[in-house]
Amino acid sequence: MIAVAAFYILSAIAIASAFMVVVARNPVHSVLFLILTFFTSAGLFVLLGAEFLAMLLIVVYVGAVAVLFLFVVMMLDIDFAELKAGFLTYLPFGGLIALILFGQFVMVGGAWVEKSVAAASIAAPTPAAAAVSNAEAIGRILYTDYIFLFQAAGIVLFIAMVGAIALTLRHRDGIRRQNVTAQVGRTREQGVEMTDPKPGQGVVL
Amino acid sequence: MSMNQTMTAELFFQQVPYILPEITLAAGALIIVLIGAFMGDRGSRLVTWLCVAVMLAAGAMAVLHMPPEQVVVFSGSYAADGFSAYAKLIIALTASSALLLSVDFLADKKLDKPEFPVLAMLATLGMFIMVSAHDLIALYVGVEMQSLALYVLAAYARDDAKSSEAGLKYFVLGALSSGLLLYGCSLVYGFTGSVKFDVISAHVAASRDIGVIFGLVFILCGLAFKMSAAPFHMWTPDVYEGSPTVSTAFFASAPKVAAAVLFARVCFEAFGPAQKDWLGIVVIMALLSMVIGALFALQQTNIKRLLAYSSIANMGYALVAIACGPEFGPKALLVFVSIYAVTSVGLFGVVLSLRTADGERVETIAGLSGLSRSNPLLAAALTMLLFSVMGIPPLAGFFGKWEIILATSSVGLLPLAIALILASVVSAFYYLRIIKTVWFDEPVATMVPVGTATALTLTGATFVLAALTLLIGLVGSAATIAGAGFS
Amino acid sequence: MSAEPHAASGLAETLAHVVVLAPLLGALICGLFNRFIGEKVAMFVATALLFVAAACAATIFIGHWNHSLHLPAKPIRLATWIDVGAFKSTWSIRLDAISAVMMIVVTGVSSLVHLYSWGYMAEDPHKPRFFAYLSLFTFAMLSLVTAADFMQLFFGWEGVGLASYLLIGFWYHKRSANDAQIKAFVVNRVGDFGFALGIMAVFFVFGSIEFKQVFDQIPQKADMMLAWGVFHLPAIEIIAFLLFIGAMGKSAQFFLHTWLPDAMEGPTPVSALIHAATMVTAGVVLVCLCSPIYEAAPATAGFITVIGAVTALFAATVGIAQNDIKRVIAYSTCSQLGFMFFAAGIGAYQAAMFHLFTHAFFKALLFLGAGSVIHGMHHEQDMRKMGDVARHMKITFVIMLIGTLAITGVGIPHTPFGFAGFFSKDAILETTFAAGMTGNTAAQLAFWMALIAATLTSFYSWRLAFMTFHGTPKWKADADHGHDHDHGAGHETSDSAHAHAQPAVAHVGEVAHDAAGSHDDHAHHAWHGPHESPLVMLIPLIILAFGAVFAGSIFYDAFVGHYAKEFWGNAIYTAPDNNVLKDKYSVPTWVFYAPLVVMLIGLAAALYFYLFNEGLGKKIADRKGLAHAFLENKWYFDELYEAVFVKGARALGDLFWKIGDGKLIDGLGPNGIAAALNFGSKKAVKIQSGYVYHYAFLMLIAAVALGAFILYRGA
Repeated sequence: MIAVAAFYILSAIAIASAFMVVVARNPVHSVLFLILTFFTSAGLFVLLGAEFLAMLLIVVYVGAVAVLFLFVVMMLDIDFAELKAGFLTYLPFGGLIALILFGQFVMVGGAWVEKSVAAASIAAPTPAAAAVSNAEAIGRILYTDYIFLFQAAGIVLFIAMVGAIALTLRHRDGIRRQNVTAQVGRTREQGVEMTDPKPGQGVVL
Repeated sequence: MSMNQTMTAELFFQQVPYILPEITLAAGALIIVLIGAFMGDRGSRLVTWLCVAVMLAAGAMAVLHMPPEQVVVFSGSYAADGFSAYAKLIIALTASSALLLSVDFLADKKLDKPEFPVLAMLATLGMFIMVSAHDLIALYVGVEMQSLALYVLAAYARDDAKSSEAGLKYFVLGALSSGLLLYGCSLVYGFTGSVKFDVISAHVAASRDIGVIFGLVFILCGLAFKMSAAPFHMWTPDVYEGSPTVSTAFFASAPKVAAAVLFARVCFEAFGPAQKDWLGIVVIMALLSMVIGALFALQQTNIKRLLAYSSIANMGYALVAIACGPEFGPKALLVFVSIYAVTSVGLFGVVLSLRTADGERVETIAGLSGLSRSNPLLAAALTMLLFSVMGIPPLAGFFGKWEIILATSSVGLLPLAIALILASVVSAFYYLRIIKTVWFDEPVATMVPVGTATALTLTGATFVLAALTLLIGLVGSAATIAGAGFS
Repeated sequence: MSAEPHAASGLAETLAHVVVLAPLLGALICGLFNRFIGEKVAMFVATALLFVAAACAATIFIGHWNHSLHLPAKPIRLATWIDVGAFKSTWSIRLDAISAVMMIVVTGVSSLVHLYSWGYMAEDPHKPRFFAYLSLFTFAMLSLVTAADFMQLFFGWEGVGLASYLLIGFWYHKRSANDAQIKAFVVNRVGDFGFALGIMAVFFVFGSIEFKQVFDQIPQKADMMLAWGVFHLPAIEIIAFLLFIGAMGKSAQFFLHTWLPDAMEGPTPVSALIHAATMVTAGVVLVCLCSPIYEAAPATAGFITVIGAVTALFAATVGIAQNDIKRVIAYSTCSQLGFMFFAAGIGAYQAAMFHLFTHAFFKALLFLGAGSVIHGMHHEQDMRKMGDVARHMKITFVIMLIGTLAITGVGIPHTPFGFAGFFSKDAILETTFAAGMTGNTAAQLAFWMALIAATLTSFYSWRLAFMTFHGTPKWKADADHGHDHDHGAGHETSDSAHAHAQPAVAHVGEVAHDAAGSHDDHAHHAWHGPHESPLVMLIPLIILAFGAVFAGSIFYDAFVGHYAKEFWGNAIYTAPDNNVLKDKYSVPTWVFYAPLVVMLIGLAAALYFYLFNEGLGKKIADRKGLAHAFLENKWYFDELYEAVFVKGARALGDLFWKIGDGKLIDGLGPNGIAAALNFGSKKAVKIQSGYVYHYAFLMLIAAVALGAFILYRGA
């Protein structure tokens, strides 16, 4: 009962905040609504018994991605008001498309309910949910059955890394870099110069 | 043969040989990236050669280790068969050719860093996974692996605004298409309870769920984007034009083969029983691609944009081959896309060889005038490649289209064949216009013959590709074997 | 290559091979190798081979005539040409009376023309080409007359057409010659179309194109009808008619005659060989060869009679008003061919062949004689510019006189005294009258028309003789006569045919100018008046003169007399009720004398107009009377055809080209579509805006639309 109530509350908040992400005037608000959406989604995962995924969602998406978004939005000097100027022009047609898409999803959802495919087709959790913890179950298949895909996903991340470096790393000339050896290895003679200025005169360095 | 039991160490080592091409590429990439890191920009030429060698080795391995019939390994996510082996060979060949073409250009633009070949190789790995994908996750991972590398390649000239714009456009739209793809995947998973193609196929054969079909639509939309088939083609001209020409050469060849083959595999293998559902979508996409590819190209003045529309039209032809169904489609598709990819690399090779006296790269069609005087051999190669892509017998391009038309007549899709022929006629106009410019127009700028020692590799590669156009018999028989092994 | 085992090397077979193949060999050697063996050698080879062929042909002909040589019953098979299902054609040599006669005519005249050309064409720089064409023509004509099936006949038919085309336009510098050769070819095409249709009809009806098989089946097919639209017509009549259309074209019969006078643009030896003695008679040969068909097709035979008679009369009327010496003879040829045709039409095929035979001699003689005059007058062809030539060219004069006597048919009935034309023309007139007595209306008509035509023939032939050889000389011996182009002005006014748009003297002049250094003595020396031709030209004339005198009396009995049946054998078929050949002995006596009388009338008229009252003809011409203009302009046939066919075809072509092809097909088709595509693509490229959100939006729309499509289809 509580679970059902939680589900409806969480999903309602999730949908509402997702909507607000789009319509909010202030981009910072948008990002904050996005974080709220992540949180409620994590709540839904918990309701499904996937607490590991819920944790991942919060740690990775909220903790890293969304915060990064927030920084970027705050640091970039972009006139978001101007960007959204075209919003109203495209609203009628865009709204129509969205409406049709929504209608189509309703039909699909209706088919789901009507044919009650749910029970028959839902993938059986491997192994049984009661036997092991969530994280353990994922870990087991991730490194056995899905080893190929897991490694492939690793390559994807590797590409992202190489790509990011390729696009951003610059070797600029004339940049003074820290030379630890030189710093550590310098002697007192190199670092200290004794002068004896007369009163009323400065020191020439 | 299927190996769907729970993975054990023993089973793992038993299955590893099937993914040897992918392992080669991945391991090669990791090692080469280290070499590049240690050698710095000096090593970019060496790195390129190494990458080409590894890619060719991987392609050869795919063919040499081709199992006599389809083997599905790694819990149903990877299929090794003739279809994918042949596609991998073509991908490896065209990708490494495109990479070879890049050396001189990148050096010219001071972009010769080892990341370029490594990223190209990693994209190739993505393509390998794509053509062997046997479940929706592998499909998605392969697509993303390829796309992510290609986004970077598009933006590779990072100080060039057009290149950055191209990369960003490609990335944003690519993300949207991945969203569509994923949405479709989740719908299919939700309704069938599995991501594996054989399970999906069994489910589709048993019952026609609107959710599955709807998921199929979204998956096909996402794949059509990767294939640059209309109406998901909009990125193509802009990205082709903005990207460094070497990246464009890469985009226009191997990824098209991979996307087309993956598209075919999804249609034939995962959704084979739902042919009447996807047929309509494929036909619409094919018709739109052919019409748009033919019509829009008429107004182009930039060679790269023109070739972008040309590739859209050609993907339309490939979709016609897919529309012919699992019995006649695979062979026609393989013959066509392999010939197209080879020709496409050749065309870009010519474009890359064009340089005016003051070092400017030629990108407009008008700039080609006078090529016949400054470099008649190159002009002849360009003419031959264009005639091939037009479909003039006895050049290879003709046989590609011929196979498709044969397949359509076998399954009674003659209207599509007629549309194909009409589109070919219209597109012949803009190819012929290039030929006319090359041979008959007064030169506007003096072209320097690309005769320097470094440029020799480039022209050599172009000529080899042009000559390869003649080896149709080989391609045809290989594709027949590959297409027959696939069902 | 002999396919048939029976083709043992009998003498006749061997000779026949030589006759047919020697000219081909000559043509090949002369045409292809003249650069290697030299001009003179090439010409010599061609001429010598032709004389060999003529000797062989003469042996066959004489042998058949005096029964010393047996002609094989079956054609000699050389090689298979076409073998497609039931459609078979064989290269073969058919030996029978018709081919024997034609072989001697063709090779005889051809060899003499070859010889004559040594003199006549002496100044021409392209002699080997000329000789090669002549030999090629001879080969084609021989393969025509020796054909054993319709396909080889057609080959020869087209081969002689080609050679004729090439030779009419031999002086290709001349615009008028080019026009004339095209005209000849096009008009012949009309006939050939009918001929080809006829062959197709033959194959359709009989299932074979071999003469023997076709003719053997005629009794079975006599009542067969062919449906054509609402018409049901007898098959035999259709075939006969279509084949005759071909014959009309080749033999320049009424309606399709217009090319022949213009063909005189070719060198005179060509006119003598092709356009008088041999090719133009191919139509007559065809009709005689197909006598089994025409015997079974009375309606078409009647049509042939009428066309032949009309041609005879028409051409004769035109002939009296022409001033170009060659054109007069050309119309005379046309007229004489009409005689042959109506003879064949009434069933007297033997008489037709006989006239063909004698005509070959005297018409070749007349042409070559005229050529001699033209040569002597330094390429002047207008008779009004001649006169009193006899004094300077005595031998030519005598020879032309013999030719004139022969063509006008001088001879004493019931005796063996007479010129060749007398016997053959009399035979035709008598048989025609005899046929008329049996109630053949067409024959009655033909007889009277032929009688008038004979009168006119006599008139124009003597007119030619008098105008050319007698009276006061109208030429002046001056230095630049030969190349005086003004000269053509008078010529033109006298002859409105467009073929003479340029002075006839131009040809040699131009050719000679081209080859600097090869100027003949006429070209740059003062012209001292007509002179006799060289011996090499006179010898052929003398030989032909013998033929023109004696051919009639010697061969009368064999061709149309008591031995006719024996001589012709199976070559000519006459129906059991066709007795015209015998009936001709039982015609009233006046019929025997009528030709002689009409000849005298014509002679008297010619004497009155052109010898005793010289200048009277010119006065009549100058008066520009309607009748004279009508005749001089050849009944306005050229003008009519120009207006109807040439202009009509051009207008129709323009319509199809400019409106049909240009506006409709191109306008709505390629050009229109291209323009529409260009317009459409110009509009369409605007969609490609470059904005990411446009693209993204479009992708979403597309996804939704495809989803809607699937849902709609699924519902």
